[in-house]
Amino acid sequence: MTDTAIEAAGLGRRFGRRRAPALDGCTFRLPAGRVCALTGPNGAGKSTLLALAAGLLRPTEGGITVLGTTPAAARERLAYVAQHKPLHPQLTIAGTLRLGRDLNPRRWDARVAERIVAEGGLDPDTKIRALSGGQRTRVALALALGKRPELLLLDEPMADLDPLARHQLTATLMADAADHGTTVVMSSHVVAELEGSCDHLLLLGSGRVRLAGPLDDLLAAHTLVTGRAGKALDPHTVVESRATGRQLTALVRPAGPLGDGFQSDRPSLEEVVLAHLRSPDAPPLLLDRRGAAV
Amino acid sequence: MTALDTVTAPAVTRHTSPSRGLVLAMLRLHRTALLFWLGLVVVAAGALLWAMGPGADAAWAEYTDLGCDQAAPNLGCDSPGPANSRYQTAVTVAIGLVRLLPLLTGAWAGGALIGRELENGTAQLAWTQSVGPARWLAAKLAVPALLLVTGTLTLTLLHRMLWSADRGAAINVMGWRAWHDTGVFEVNGTIAAAEALAALALGVLAGMLLRRTLPALGVAVLTVMSLVYVLDALRPYLWPVKTVVTSLDDGTPGIDSMIVETGAMTASGARVPIPSCSGEPGCDARTGITHYYADYHPASHFWPLQLMETGLLLAVAALAAATAFVLLRRRTGAAV
Repeated sequence: MTDTAIEAAGLGRRFGRRRAPALDGCTFRLPAGRVCALTGPNGAGKSTLLALAAGLLRPTEGGITVLGTTPAAARERLAYVAQHKPLHPQLTIAGTLRLGRDLNPRRWDARVAERIVAEGGLDPDTKIRALSGGQRTRVALALALGKRPELLLLDEPMADLDPLARHQLTATLMADAADHGTTVVMSSHVVAELEGSCDHLLLLGSGRVRLAGPLDDLLAAHTLVTGRAGKALDPHTVVESRATGRQLTALVRPAGPLGDGFQSDRPSLEEVVLAHLRSPDAPPLLLDRRGAAV
Repeated sequence: MTALDTVTAPAVTRHTSPSRGLVLAMLRLHRTALLFWLGLVVVAAGALLWAMGPGADAAWAEYTDLGCDQAAPNLGCDSPGPANSRYQTAVTVAIGLVRLLPLLTGAWAGGALIGRELENGTAQLAWTQSVGPARWLAAKLAVPALLLVTGTLTLTLLHRMLWSADRGAAINVMGWRAWHDTGVFEVNGTIAAAEALAALALGVLAGMLLRRTLPALGVAVLTVMSLVYVLDALRPYLWPVKTVVTSLDDGTPGIDSMIVETGAMTASGARVPIPSCSGEPGCDARTGITHYYADYHPASHFWPLQLMETGLLLAVAALAAATAFVLLRRRTGAAV
């Protein structure tokens, strides 16, 4: 049993020679047992990264290790829910779960899957094509959790759920993950959706890793400062600074105690993420290496 | 992980082979296609069995009532009666269904079996269960292949029984059917089954290449049509022909051979087209032809021709299937 769920080294994936790579030189490590938020703007490479981890795509550069082995060898121990929740429309819910049982004979836990379906008040004899978007998501999650995965990869899992269903399903997911020590990677471009349920963050921008590490450490590494415009912020790393009149607002990674004349605040996750998205040239911060930060 | 082990324990005792589960899942997913195939085989087999039994009885009774089995048949023997028509219709329906099979198979394999699954992502759903892409593709090829070959060979056996029965042979002559006719030739041997296999593999390849339902369906149908057409044209050249040279009075050889080419010969032995003035007085002398010739396949060439064409079809099927595996592997990087 390894303590690393996903480890990527120089991971890259290109679709066609002329297009910019979807992922480019990604190096990060996700420890096992974490609930990781994978975020970034549209087209940042979130889906590509999840597909690579699920063994659906082959990297064009670098490598990715999942649960201590190749994604293909880890296939039985991971579950993946794609963005548009593909399911066979002609099957019933019960038929879909039977598919999960047949295709995962060594791992399938029917009780878990049936419970998730029942919690949504769904009749197992309903055909998949008759379900709403949110109901489909529920069945797709039941199929994924019924496999009892050690690693659960979810691509925009809550995108088509109403707030109540989103809350319910997140709770189900988190309870299940906590009970079994499942590592969860959840992508979303809505940051607020992820705060509260995740303890690890991976921020992608233009195919590169911008931020990676435990959520608390990443937040602690940043400070929101306000002060008089024109004052130097050296030697701190400035992620983003904006001057409105004589007032300066900046998100910095302090290299030591901040000087006098600055008021400092703890930023929210959304502020940290947005500041990085608005400043594509800010240096990446990777706090996920064993022991040391970069 | 002990908690996990106790939870999964009941599942372990059931069946542990993902391959078996994959076959079950496939049959359930493509139940409509399976029922359609069973229906097609039942209809075609039913038509052949009926033709062999009551159909042939009635047609034969009509035939003998008209005195057509006598040494000097009368003119009425040329136009079949109603019982004979019914017999011919039944046989035509069965042969027609078998001839339609490669197209239907190719369309289904490209569209429903592979293209749709890659287009809407259900293929990726399968690949992230405990079975890998390669095993998934193997099942997609093997299960339909087995069912197609079993069904088609059943129809072939039934048609051969019908064809070789004495009465059947006589009635078939009345229906102007010969062993080398397109349709009859394929269903009487291994070609029908091999065509279905090649269509399946080409459809799967089209689906893998195009990854969308309708384009894959269209391309698969066009490819299978071209293959059937090309092989039909190529058929006479798959085995060395026999040549018969006849004098100008005898004409060309009889109808029970697959005629490949006919023409005239000059005194030097050169082959020339039959002159347009053929039959007119003085024509032969004017054009210098001395004999007619015909390249043909006698009925004894049936199996060599069958096996050559079957071999070609199986080679196409194997090549298409192998290419599909290579494509899948290049895309997913997964071995098993």
